[in-house]
Amino acid sequence: MTVSARERIAHVVRRLSMAPHASIAVDLPDTDAAIARALDLSGAAATPLAMTPPDGSGKPEVRAIVEPIVWWLDRMQQPDRMVEERLTWFWHDHFATSVVKVREPYLMNRQHVTLRNHATGNFADLLKAVARDPAMLVYLDGITNAADERNENFGRECLELFTMGRDGGYTQDDVVAASRAFTGWVVDLPGRPFSDRLERLTGVQPWDSVFVARRHDDGVKTLLGVTGTFDLDGALDVILAHPATATFVARKLYRELVGLDPDDDVVESLAKEFRRDYEILPLVAEIVQRPEFTADDAVRAKVRTPVEKLVGIRQAGGPAGSASPVQGNASRGSAGVVAKALRAMAYVPFVPPNVGGFPKGSRLLGPGNLVHTFDLVAAAGTVPESRDGAGALATLGVFDVSATTRKVLDRQRDPQQRFALAVASPEYAVT
Amino acid sequence: MSGHLTNRPITRRRFLTGLGVGATAAVVAGYGLSVWQDGGAGRASSSAGLRVTPTTLGGRDDHTLVVVELAGGNDGLNTVVPMTDPAYRALRPTMGVTYAIALDDEIGLHPELAKLAARYHDGHVAIVEGIGYPEPNLSHFASLGYWWSGVPGESGGVGWLGRYLDGTVGTSDPLAAVSIGPVPSPALLGTQSFATSIADASGLQPTVPARVDVDDLVAAWGGFAPASPDPRTLMGEVQQAIAYTVEARRGLDRELAGFSETGSAAGSLALAAQLVASDHPPRIVYVSDLGDFDTHQGQAQRQPTLLRDLDAGLDSFFTTLEAAGRADRVLVMTVSEFGRRPGENGSGTDHGTAAPHFLIGAAVKGGRYGAPPSLTALDPHGNLVATTDFRSLYATALAGWLDVDPFAVLGRASGAGFGPLPVLA
Repeated sequence: MTVSARERIAHVVRRLSMAPHASIAVDLPDTDAAIARALDLSGAAATPLAMTPPDGSGKPEVRAIVEPIVWWLDRMQQPDRMVEERLTWFWHDHFATSVVKVREPYLMNRQHVTLRNHATGNFADLLKAVARDPAMLVYLDGITNAADERNENFGRECLELFTMGRDGGYTQDDVVAASRAFTGWVVDLPGRPFSDRLERLTGVQPWDSVFVARRHDDGVKTLLGVTGTFDLDGALDVILAHPATATFVARKLYRELVGLDPDDDVVESLAKEFRRDYEILPLVAEIVQRPEFTADDAVRAKVRTPVEKLVGIRQAGGPAGSASPVQGNASRGSAGVVAKALRAMAYVPFVPPNVGGFPKGSRLLGPGNLVHTFDLVAAAGTVPESRDGAGALATLGVFDVSATTRKVLDRQRDPQQRFALAVASPEYAVT
Repeated sequence: MSGHLTNRPITRRRFLTGLGVGATAAVVAGYGLSVWQDGGAGRASSSAGLRVTPTTLGGRDDHTLVVVELAGGNDGLNTVVPMTDPAYRALRPTMGVTYAIALDDEIGLHPELAKLAARYHDGHVAIVEGIGYPEPNLSHFASLGYWWSGVPGESGGVGWLGRYLDGTVGTSDPLAAVSIGPVPSPALLGTQSFATSIADASGLQPTVPARVDVDDLVAAWGGFAPASPDPRTLMGEVQQAIAYTVEARRGLDRELAGFSETGSAAGSLALAAQLVASDHPPRIVYVSDLGDFDTHQGQAQRQPTLLRDLDAGLDSFFTTLEAAGRADRVLVMTVSEFGRRPGENGSGTDHGTAAPHFLIGAAVKGGRYGAPPSLTALDPHGNLVATTDFRSLYATALAGWLDVDPFAVLGRASGAGFGPLPVLA
């Protein structure tokens, strides 16, 4: 199928944001304008959700994670700073951290603010911020990693998933060396043992992380062939200087945005530039200005994720009532239906299924996932007006429609049923 | 499973012919079409070289293999405990299991596995010790990939059970394999077959507003698949997956009618039992959402809870099937990407290598198989050296239970080191 000019513009908007933004896409003259619009950071930055730090006297209220989830889903729909939304989600998936283990929504929200603040900035700064982020220190057991009790969890995932990649050329000895360098960081968790003592000794504020020299292994390490007494930042600098890191991140970002595997020489040239200063936005700009980004092959080359589907539905129909789209159980109205479906698809923000991030690609095309796409329709407050099938899909930012899909949708007399089928159509399943 | 769909408005033959895949079997289906490798983007076909010629394997359709995946890497040493080995106490000074349930003079099960221990004493549990593979990889994702593909060193391509499905049922039955979990297990990924995945007891039943007729909606949805979807495009892949899903839903609806469960580990195993007890049991059920066994920290609290849930889930699984008179048609096999480091890290254990696994069922000749790995001759990273290749575990199920040539699925070259174990006979 040939790609229309409108679909190509919508493609640019979808890939560089977290929503279809159909009403914006129809007004943009061409893909260059769409790229410029999406990369424009002159709009107002989001005011982060302010959560009250718990005093640690009770059990963690894990369910309060609903608040940052709804805040985030609402924000994804906003027309400002589109690329910041795409990248904030990308980094959440990259530095996957789950409230199921962290337990404190307050810390998850703080991590979210950190990811958002650095999303379009500098990868080296972002990495160093995440490495001392309280939620990450809890999630990958940095807080139990000490000179005499080394815990390899963060060290391994840092090399494998966050920087060099599985085939980046590090060894188990490097995992050990990095883990040793990362020792000594703890989090002041109010209400837990040693919290008071930690505050007294270090002056740390509740819920902040702090370096405790006594727990740090300050011995000589050899990491990636470089020898020194590295601490956290020292080790991260060695990892950032290794060519595999820029290559891994550039390749992953290319796949995120273009939806296809890059040629090796393309990645190498992107990575070479990226490694000079690790500035993220110039790398994004470099990738999306390449012809591959808007080529026919790239359009609809990705499976649309459940969270992208949800945001598009809410944008088309307005959020359903005051209830959150993720709270409650299925017997209690539309919010519960959506929550249950998202959980069943392992796609609740702040709850990635594991440190590898959210499922992607063809794994999202399992029958359960496909059928329960219908459940997400409950997230729409009202069914958007449409005269026919093409009209229904246009509200979702889909403009090229196959004859088969058009026939099925045009046959629907009931607008609600037509919209539900549009949401579950092959066109909306891809992006 | 023959006759499964014959009373339906659209017969399987008509359905497949309509998709243009009936005779040639050249088109692959559903998520089997392509693989999203390494969690990135890009459609890439499998690089794994092993292929099975479609529908050449035969095999029996009156046995079900239930694979229970303990994702994250279950700590084997505290599951099957080498109670009397002094090296165990030395390696596990603070979190060693003190009151294991003795199975013999050497080993015992974790105290939270009491019901499994009872089944062991009844003679229906095989423990295969020291399972791993050459050149162990300590990455979750690499190692899981190898276990899924059935080929150490290869991941991201066709799964070992996908090859089994390719070689047996092909595209003829979308319910021949059911994956329980939020996404289909890559172990079921075939090139010429299709597996159904469900997250919970809602199966393939969407939740829609009361005034919308679900059957009408799904029937209309099935219309999105044109007569011959283009398998080279992602859209074509989706269209085909929709068609298979509509087909799978027809059968699954009936099999899960009136059933509900809670979404816990026990719930997933109860769902598995329901499928096996149904009129048309799958050949394969793959359960992959039993919790996070990656106990780097807090192992003394977390692993007992995980094992308690597993023990309760397995017990109610078999109790359900015994009550239904179906216990003799099922074999349960546990898998996990690796065991954990023998030495403690303070409050948990880091990634390791070899671990024991269970084969459970009425047809199992209970007892110990494989060989316990040495606790004193560890590898340079302080990990156990495997004594039994995981392909032996797979070969045991393939040959002894599913009645297919295990080497066709696992590779001819594999014959040398890891043939079936005499667990089933």
